[in-house]
Amino acid sequence: MSVVLPTNRDENWRYANLRPLAKARVEEARPANALTRPNPPPALPGYQRWQFSDGHFTVSDASADARTKLLDARAAGESFAALLDADLSSAGVDFSLARINAARGDDVLQIELPDDSSPLHLELLFFATTSSADGTSYPRVQIVAGRNTRLRLVERHLSSRDIDAAVNGAFDILLRPGAILEHVRVQNCSATSAVFDTLVAHVADAAQYRLRSMTLGGLTSRTTAFIKLAGRGARCELAAASVANGIQTHDFFAEIEHVAPDTVTRELYRGIAADRGKLGFNGKIVVRESAHGADSEQSLKSLLTGSGAEASVRPQLEIYTDRVRAQHGATTGKLDEQMLFYLLSRGIDRRTAQTLLQWAFIEDAVSRVDCAELRTDIESLIAAQLNEVSALEGLLGKQ
Amino acid sequence: MSALLEISNLSAKVAGKNVLQGLSLTLNAGEVHAIMGPNGSGKSTLSYVLAGRPGYEITGGTVKFQGRDLLSMEPEERARAGMFLGFQYPVEIPGVNNVYLLKAAVNAKRKASGLPEVDAYEFLQLVRGKMKLMQMDESFLSRGVNEGFSGGEKKRNEILQMLVLEPTLAVLDETDSGLDIDALKVVARGVNSLRSADRGVLLITHYQRLLDHIVPDQVHVLARGRIARSGDKTLAHELEKRGYDWVLEVA
Repeated sequence: MSVVLPTNRDENWRYANLRPLAKARVEEARPANALTRPNPPPALPGYQRWQFSDGHFTVSDASADARTKLLDARAAGESFAALLDADLSSAGVDFSLARINAARGDDVLQIELPDDSSPLHLELLFFATTSSADGTSYPRVQIVAGRNTRLRLVERHLSSRDIDAAVNGAFDILLRPGAILEHVRVQNCSATSAVFDTLVAHVADAAQYRLRSMTLGGLTSRTTAFIKLAGRGARCELAAASVANGIQTHDFFAEIEHVAPDTVTRELYRGIAADRGKLGFNGKIVVRESAHGADSEQSLKSLLTGSGAEASVRPQLEIYTDRVRAQHGATTGKLDEQMLFYLLSRGIDRRTAQTLLQWAFIEDAVSRVDCAELRTDIESLIAAQLNEVSALEGLLGKQ
Repeated sequence: MSALLEISNLSAKVAGKNVLQGLSLTLNAGEVHAIMGPNGSGKSTLSYVLAGRPGYEITGGTVKFQGRDLLSMEPEERARAGMFLGFQYPVEIPGVNNVYLLKAAVNAKRKASGLPEVDAYEFLQLVRGKMKLMQMDESFLSRGVNEGFSGGEKKRNEILQMLVLEPTLAVLDETDSGLDIDALKVVARGVNSLRSADRGVLLITHYQRLLDHIVPDQVHVLARGRIARSGDKTLAHELEKRGYDWVLEVA
């Protein structure tokens, strides 16, 4: 298969660190050495857990639920990505990574909720245990949520501390009318890993897609998301948080396309770049002529705390009809001096005060994770990423 | 009587402008002093200089707090040494909740004095008691610092913090501005409850009405960056009747 990989000259890839792509071998990862697998995080109450190593299924504690099954890549086919692809004029190179995934991925997890079936809570753990020299992991998930169903999905990416794993994931999501998907993604791979993923979601009438994306790990991390609000009243809520330190680069491209009338987008991004970390968030919203009554809000903010830190945060609006409401705000800045002085004037030391304010900043996005146990866990990971576990001790799990 | 705060010939610049120009004032333990003055006379600058806010350049003079050189201390050190600034415009800090801030502030102060951290249960009881005095709902505790508070709620919250921190010297910058008469009484009750022989309060205000409820030992009029006139509480009444121009003319 010949696929042209994106480069920094491609419009939607200017800020991504693509060097690891060239370094990673596009073969599938060789079977993993189980010893290098990190310990799984504590179980979430009420969630069925599925575990994967280097893209391959390993174990599940789920009682047989026919709605979740593993498929062979060839049986799964290219699916919705291909469908959306045909409609998207801009697709092209943006789907290169997804195509490689579709061609290589072995175990495809398919989650299919029949119309009006009972709610499902699933937690997916993807461990990367193999270094990039031994190949790439290709996690792949297909979701079809039937009419009026509700799916809570937690997706976590982890790796051993000391490996430079390469991961190229793909998510295909189809939400039928009235379906609600709450999708929390936590990427906490090692700071030497390269983690790429493509996410495509098709949202029908009155269906809701709520994505909370927490990016902490990876030397380089890139999410490419295409979300299509295809039916009347479809809604997308995207809350993304990112903390990059050291020399990490975290890049997120999200295109949300309003096709149907009365569709709604609520997009929030909070990123902190420490040290020489780099952040990119490109929130593109397209409102088609047919999408009258569309309503979109974007609040995109980044905070630079390191002397060599960089951020590029941009909202992008393409509107082809007059009858819309579109609000957007984007800022990149440093800590608020007035807030800092207020905390100092109460006797709190400077370092703790700075950490508290960073915490408050990122909490804006993290607070949108509904599951309390998971939120507490994410908060601990963020505290560790901010290198300030002790200063934040009293805050964890209290919000 | 021992001097709690001794300001001698203090001059300060902000944004290139000389705002304080040779201000001197001594406040003894157990006293409440009011500083009054027209807009732009340097009242807020004085409070910020005392608290150590960045952006204020000291061009002359000294300030001693309990005998220590206040101006050489960092803002957080001043707070831990027992100084408190009640802000005219308290800032909102969403994401950091009130009870966390209170506890962190109390523990910072205790740590500086070599004391162990406060007991969580006892602390909550103490805060609840003070909130009752300030007529604040307990739900305020779990909200972000000043987040979505009305002007009056923010001022009450400043006084609540003061009561919990029990400072040796409280500098209250126009704590009365924007308060209706009922809220003013609540704030005054809070301040009065803190009065004691070993503490001092510097009340900065534009209007005399606060001083009906918190009766000062001395009243100073600040004009053109220095104390233009000092007197007892009757000075405030005279100012109310005759206006600030009267003092400015005399000065």
